[in-house]
Amino acid sequence: MAILPHIPWLTLLICLPLTGAMLCMLADERERTSHWLALATTAIIFVITIGLFISYGAGGAGWLLHEDAIWIDRYGIRYSLGMDGISLLLVLLTAFLHLIAVLASWPIERHAPRFLGLLLLLETGLMGIFLAIDLVLFYVFWEVMLIPMFLMIGIWGGEQRRQAALKFFLYALAGSLAMLVALIALYLLHGEQTGSYTFALAELMKTRLTLPQEILLFSGFMLAFAIKTPLVPFHTWLPDAHAESPASGAVDLTGLLLKTGVFGMIRIAFPLFPAATRFALPLLGILALTGLFHAAWGAYRQNDIKRLFAYSSISHVGLILLGLAAWQITAWEGSILLMLTNAIATGALFVLIAMIRQRTGTCQIDELSGLWGQAPNLSALFLLFALASLGLPGLANFAGEILVLIGTFQTHPVWASLAVVAVVFAAAYILRLVQGVIWGPISGTRITYDLTPREWLILVPMAILVIWLGLYPAPFLTPLHEPVQLLLGGSP
Amino acid sequence: MSETLLFLIPLLPLACAVVNMLFGMRLPRLFAETTAVAGVATSTALTLLFWDYSVGEGTRAVLGTWLSSGSLDVAFALRFDALAAPMTLMVTGVATLIHLYAVGYMHEDQDYARFFGLLNLFVFAMLTIVLADNLLVLFLGWEGVGLCSYGLIGFWYSKLDNAKAGTKAFMVTRVGDVFFGIALLWLFSLTGTLSISEINAQAASISPGVVIVLTLLLLLGACGKSAQLPLMTWLADAMAGPTPVSALIHAATMVTAGVYLLCRMFPLISLSAVGMTAITAIGALTALYAATCALAQREIKRVLAYSTMSQVGYMFMAVGAGTVSGAMFHLLTHAFFKALLFMAAGCVIHLAGNENDIFKMGGLARRSPPELLWVFLAGAVCLAGVPLTGGFFSKDGILLALFTHGDPVYKLFWLVGVITALLTAFYTFRLVYLVFAGEPRGHGHPHTIPMQMRWPLWPLALLGLAGGLLNLPVLVGGGERLHHWLGGQAGRHVTASHNLEWLLIGLAIVIVAVGWAAAHWRYRVFRGARDTKTTRFLLDGWRADQLVDLMILRPFNAIAGFCWIGCDRTLFDGTLNVLASQARASGNLLRRMTTGRLSSYLAAFAWGFLLILGWVLMTLVGRGGGH
Repeated sequence: MAILPHIPWLTLLICLPLTGAMLCMLADERERTSHWLALATTAIIFVITIGLFISYGAGGAGWLLHEDAIWIDRYGIRYSLGMDGISLLLVLLTAFLHLIAVLASWPIERHAPRFLGLLLLLETGLMGIFLAIDLVLFYVFWEVMLIPMFLMIGIWGGEQRRQAALKFFLYALAGSLAMLVALIALYLLHGEQTGSYTFALAELMKTRLTLPQEILLFSGFMLAFAIKTPLVPFHTWLPDAHAESPASGAVDLTGLLLKTGVFGMIRIAFPLFPAATRFALPLLGILALTGLFHAAWGAYRQNDIKRLFAYSSISHVGLILLGLAAWQITAWEGSILLMLTNAIATGALFVLIAMIRQRTGTCQIDELSGLWGQAPNLSALFLLFALASLGLPGLANFAGEILVLIGTFQTHPVWASLAVVAVVFAAAYILRLVQGVIWGPISGTRITYDLTPREWLILVPMAILVIWLGLYPAPFLTPLHEPVQLLLGGSP
Repeated sequence: MSETLLFLIPLLPLACAVVNMLFGMRLPRLFAETTAVAGVATSTALTLLFWDYSVGEGTRAVLGTWLSSGSLDVAFALRFDALAAPMTLMVTGVATLIHLYAVGYMHEDQDYARFFGLLNLFVFAMLTIVLADNLLVLFLGWEGVGLCSYGLIGFWYSKLDNAKAGTKAFMVTRVGDVFFGIALLWLFSLTGTLSISEINAQAASISPGVVIVLTLLLLLGACGKSAQLPLMTWLADAMAGPTPVSALIHAATMVTAGVYLLCRMFPLISLSAVGMTAITAIGALTALYAATCALAQREIKRVLAYSTMSQVGYMFMAVGAGTVSGAMFHLLTHAFFKALLFMAAGCVIHLAGNENDIFKMGGLARRSPPELLWVFLAGAVCLAGVPLTGGFFSKDGILLALFTHGDPVYKLFWLVGVITALLTAFYTFRLVYLVFAGEPRGHGHPHTIPMQMRWPLWPLALLGLAGGLLNLPVLVGGGERLHHWLGGQAGRHVTASHNLEWLLIGLAIVIVAVGWAAAHWRYRVFRGARDTKTTRFLLDGWRADQLVDLMILRPFNAIAGFCWIGCDRTLFDGTLNVLASQARASGNLLRRMTTGRLSSYLAAFAWGFLLILGWVLMTLVGRGGGH
């Protein structure tokens, strides 16, 4: 345990990207410098998270790391951060994907320093969300995450970027407001009961609420999380946002932003309102199943590959939420593992789509064909990640999916059986995509080059991870055992 | 020797596959080919070397943990036992010969590394199914063979139809996987384990009604992989792949995986009489259906594909009749002679100048190297069930098992089996006559057949013809070796009076003779292709594809369209747009603010956000204070 020296690591995880962001912004005119700066920053953060993972990967009860300081004493707001096994994995994922995202945004020329600054700011926001255990602090990071993403889509996006950015912002804002209202109401109710006004998560969990109160406040939080996740029917912002965002933005969006919604449920909504949770779980399960199928069907009809994977993400999130709604330890661990694996597989696919687009100028299925004949390495990797996304055993997603299904079957056999059917749906839209893009006669724009060294550097680690997580996910499951048990312990 | 070394049997082909996939194109062709063949051949040798591990209860070996969470603990574990050992030997042995054949077959193809990589990967996945100790590892292989089949059917991807055939195979088998998947989840929740032997041990404690459903689920799963009704539509199209692929995957090994699964789970499924009857019924229906389709096919490989489907139907009947040894016996002999027939068909197609249509062949007996006729004939007599060949004994055992079954409905299945046997004899000899007899009808220029494509046929011909020795019935002085070898896993021991057995054998001989005579009369001299409604119906496989299209694909597409355009575009986004436009209409006074610039929108949001925030805070604090 005590391999690492005693340093406020969690603060470092939040401050480092912020510093990097500022430096990038300062290097406004020098694009290459800002790229290297961003790369160095994300690399250092990644190394730190690996260190944390090695030190604390064995898991344990309670907070593995905890930092606490007074922030705004008058309102009982504290700067308090805590890391358990779940946030450890998500922090690791955040660091990894940002390193990838910086590498993937190497071709960006227009206002590169600002773009990279925003990317790093986003990392701050995400780290904060995964680590904050004071609700105001959480909320601040929640909003911090919103702005860079909005600007990244709105400025560096595709043709329809303004509408997409606006839609994203409006949806997110609606959710945030609901959460804010619920948060403050809870704060006041707690203060009234106990006399001590605080935003500390652990304290607020002790608030005694009537069921209607709980349900009302729970709904406020859940609205924010459900929109971000996104849960059908709050999902229509995502395909637009995906289709318009630049490659590295899309990696972040699908890999991490969507996961904050799920994380919010696990860390905040469920523990704060156990009675309401018990009440809402069947509804959540049914909505999750609806989303699983609805989005898979939606994906089947997409012509734009980015949109297709946006729908595929919504479908996967349906499975993740189904696992949560099953309220069973194997299902939960599967859900969290699936968050990781989906982030990596879909993230890699977005990077690959950007590479295809760079070569052919399009990411419409009907304009592409016969990629294997022109760029076999790129196609092979595309196939690998597509198969992972399809849930092929031995690759990453399957490990998460089967745990979710096995766990869900223990408590809700019908849900799990229905969810298995979605396996065919996933195969349907993925194989349609692969058939359209990789196979078939060579047509359209000729591709003149296969993968470049930088692209190999991005994709090989992701490929290794996808296989590793598929065959030996144990190191990533171990830290989950105790926190998940703790979270499930109390209720339903 | 440590039992962990058993893992070398599946892992060697995997290692060779990885080598070929990563480096195959950068290394000389000979290296890629040698790697591929050597990997599989070494596995064969290892299987023989480790044979003793399979005696008795067999040997379990564990490599490590795969998934562990909550009460679930799944290890990468294999079990080398009496059932797995002969299957392993067959898979590795036949695969070695087919790999050798493929070296010759693919000698002009530039994409050899992908081909041999996938072929080796397939062998790994197939061995994983055979050797799996638990259902999840079995499922890993199960999906793995599906993937390789997908990749190899569509190997010549620049023709989109090939890729489509691959996709179809993957999709249809995945439909079966859904049922297998549900069975897997259910079995775990019932028994708390995924280990096959432990599930079988606990099978008796599961309530009978559930066992029926589980059996049906497993049956449907098996149907997908084994191309049985109603999930059979993919196999005939799968012939788009290279011929060695058809021989290995779609004749000898993968399509029999469903039978093997049912044999593995036999202690469980045999508890349910209803389930067993269903298995037999599916087998019988498929056997008959496929045999009728084979009557009218024009492509040589499609004839063989339908005959495979039909023969696998016999294996299902055997399982349903309670004789695992009978099913495995037919599985093994069929693997030999069907792989032989496919490989010989590959030579035939070569000789006919890449002509697939048997109506345009003819007269190949004179054109071919003399041995081709003989090896093809060796395979054909096995398939037709000519007495004393391997196919004769294994098919006869199944018919006997059906006839002697206590349930009267099995007499009906027996009758279907007999009729199918008649049809089989007829279409087999039809094939032989159309290909070899008479005058040449085609115009293709014959290609020469490389040596590697010729000599692997001989061992298979020998194995096919002499395959009966594996499980020779007592009646003709045999020892039923396979049945005794399988021991407790062999299922029902089929016994009958000698008179009955002789009677059935006599009947089988008559059937073959009638089938041959009919084919001789009709096809010895080619009298032109008949094109009637019936032949077209049979040629299209009873129009099953149109039915699937109408019943499944179109509704699926329509719902998909509804979800996307109807729901997301119209309902959700439409509602939001209405809300937005109303907000705009009511906010007409503030029109000056809609400048269209992002920054001003942003500023407006910030202000609005603050306003609402303030309002909420005021009301909440106010109410809070009021209490």
